[in-house]
Amino acid sequence: MALEQSQDNLKRTHLPHGVADYFWAEARERRLLEVKLLDLFRSWGYGDVIPPMFEYAATYHARAGSELESETYRFLDRDGSTLALRADMTIPVARLVATRLHDWPMPQRFCYAGSVFRYTEPQAGVQREFAQAGVELIGSHSPHADAEVMALTARALQTAGIRHFQLVLGQMRFFNGLLEALDLAPDRARALQHAIDRNSHADLLEFLRSAPLLDVHRRAVEEFPLLSGPDVDSVARRAERVCLNPAMRAALANLRKVAERLDSYGEAGRLYVDLTEIHNLGYYTGVTFEALTPEIGFAVASGGRYDNLVATFGANQPAVGAALASERLLLARRRSSQANGAARPVAPSALFASAPSAETTRMAMQVVEQWRALGLSVAVDVDDLSPAALCEQAAKIGARFFVRWTGEGADVTDLAQPDSAPRFVPASRIHQLATEILNAIPSAR
Amino acid sequence: MQSHPPADTTVQPRSSTRGQEQILTIALAKGRLTEQTLSWLERAGLSMPVDDAGRKLVLASADGALRYVMAKPADVPIYVEYGAADLGVCGLDVLREGGRSVYEPLLLPFGHCRLSLAGPADRPDVPLRYDSQPRVATAFPRLTAEFFRTRGINAEIIALKGSVELGPLVGLADLIVDLVDTGNTLRANGLVELRVIMQSQAVLIANRASYRLKSPAVQHAIRSLRAAIDQRQSEIVSP
Repeated sequence: MALEQSQDNLKRTHLPHGVADYFWAEARERRLLEVKLLDLFRSWGYGDVIPPMFEYAATYHARAGSELESETYRFLDRDGSTLALRADMTIPVARLVATRLHDWPMPQRFCYAGSVFRYTEPQAGVQREFAQAGVELIGSHSPHADAEVMALTARALQTAGIRHFQLVLGQMRFFNGLLEALDLAPDRARALQHAIDRNSHADLLEFLRSAPLLDVHRRAVEEFPLLSGPDVDSVARRAERVCLNPAMRAALANLRKVAERLDSYGEAGRLYVDLTEIHNLGYYTGVTFEALTPEIGFAVASGGRYDNLVATFGANQPAVGAALASERLLLARRRSSQANGAARPVAPSALFASAPSAETTRMAMQVVEQWRALGLSVAVDVDDLSPAALCEQAAKIGARFFVRWTGEGADVTDLAQPDSAPRFVPASRIHQLATEILNAIPSAR
Repeated sequence: MQSHPPADTTVQPRSSTRGQEQILTIALAKGRLTEQTLSWLERAGLSMPVDDAGRKLVLASADGALRYVMAKPADVPIYVEYGAADLGVCGLDVLREGGRSVYEPLLLPFGHCRLSLAGPADRPDVPLRYDSQPRVATAFPRLTAEFFRTRGINAEIIALKGSVELGPLVGLADLIVDLVDTGNTLRANGLVELRVIMQSQAVLIANRASYRLKSPAVQHAIRSLRAAIDQRQSEIVSP
């Protein structure tokens, strides 16, 4: 019993595996990033959506067969039904459109930012609870829709301060066409997908050895792992030589159209076409893409076309979407700026105190309100500490200025100046002082 | 830490009339601890392995009373837990990391080192708990995870098999947790020791069943080693 209690005491202060505290600059940067990304999405005509944090587990099973199903956090409601924590944003949005907005003009554009939960091993800034920001474009088959979502993803990465990245473009329908032509048993199809997805020479040889294929089929399988490169034309031309049916040719034609449209957004230079990118087979049904940066060994954004998902909730609608991993973006930005890992506090621009008299305090508060309205962050002393103690505190928490209101004006200490004595600023010049502080702290706005 | 085994009064050591079950198997860690382990076994008067070319993994002692198994350090507690070896000598570090269920009847006076957290020398001097999700490379993921968990910090543990000092150099990790002896390796790689997570030294471990079933032989080995340690202690105190 005593042991159990001490376990509980430990748990009170520890964190479970997979969640993290965000505080200070890191928390602030994440919020600011989400605001900026949502603003960008809105400027492209995407409307906000805030899906619930949990739903019936059955809703998430719509994506059956995908990794997501085994990664979902499930728990019981009081009435005994099984609930699931939000494991991605796409499924709730698809459900929303299929069940409630199916008669609204298509295409519909949605954007979101928030936490999702997945039971996976934390890696590279992604915990079991992690933040995603993204878009869904529902109701259009056009390759122009795929290109729009990709271009918007590229803009979002730039907005997040990621300068160097590549967009890896794949097309599931090309591989699906191959499977159709080969007419394989399900386990053989899985073996082939696995071999190509992992780019495994050994597995591919094993696949070819284990059962004979027609020569033309065999050649297509052997060539498949080589179908990637920065130039869409050359990849498509090589891919055309191994096309076995109209489905594969249609997939390539679609890929060319997406790339062409992407060129008009000025993003063709970031493209890397990869027809072996077939990881999320079964969920994505057409174009897929991932954004990679040199700072992180994992994708910072990913997306694709999922034409079968909305139908599982009602009316059928084609759709394409993308999600950015907000924390990874911040991590990539920090690493590219060579910033140190230690957390940085967010200090107010000024710590403000007033001589303890009701009359001067009223004036002091008016001054503070004006400064705040100008965009300064001002913390006011609530403990009636001595000026010396407050000055020390201001320096410790990293405030730039310590301001003490005396009634006739303010004693101002600039803490960036070593050993600077307070200087007196009369009440008549107090507004200029705010401008001075704003100029000293460009990030205050 | 040092738990004394209960005195065994019912069974006398019968080293002259060894039965088949009284042959003891001892797992030894290959590497850092090997040489000292052997020299202490010799000092304790235990029969030494006869090694022909240093390639065999199972060695019989000269008198046939003991059998030695040469294992990777982290595997020593596993051999002992499953009873493939009755006794073993390994470091407290790998023992705690493995979390195996074995007896630890005797600390041995060698192999001293510490498991430490280290970081880049230019790291600002701030408490660890201000760090957000540091990435930590280590060959001791379990102890490292526990260290950070008890401080409420969610570290990303990157488990490596060795050369963890590389982590910060190539941008794989912000911090490392590794065994430190002199600190030379850390310094050579631009790292400084930040916290000592645990002090380590060699320890004699025993299988829980063997401890009872082969009590005479096991107790004899423990007593002999303890006597050798006590003797060395008195030599140092009064030379």
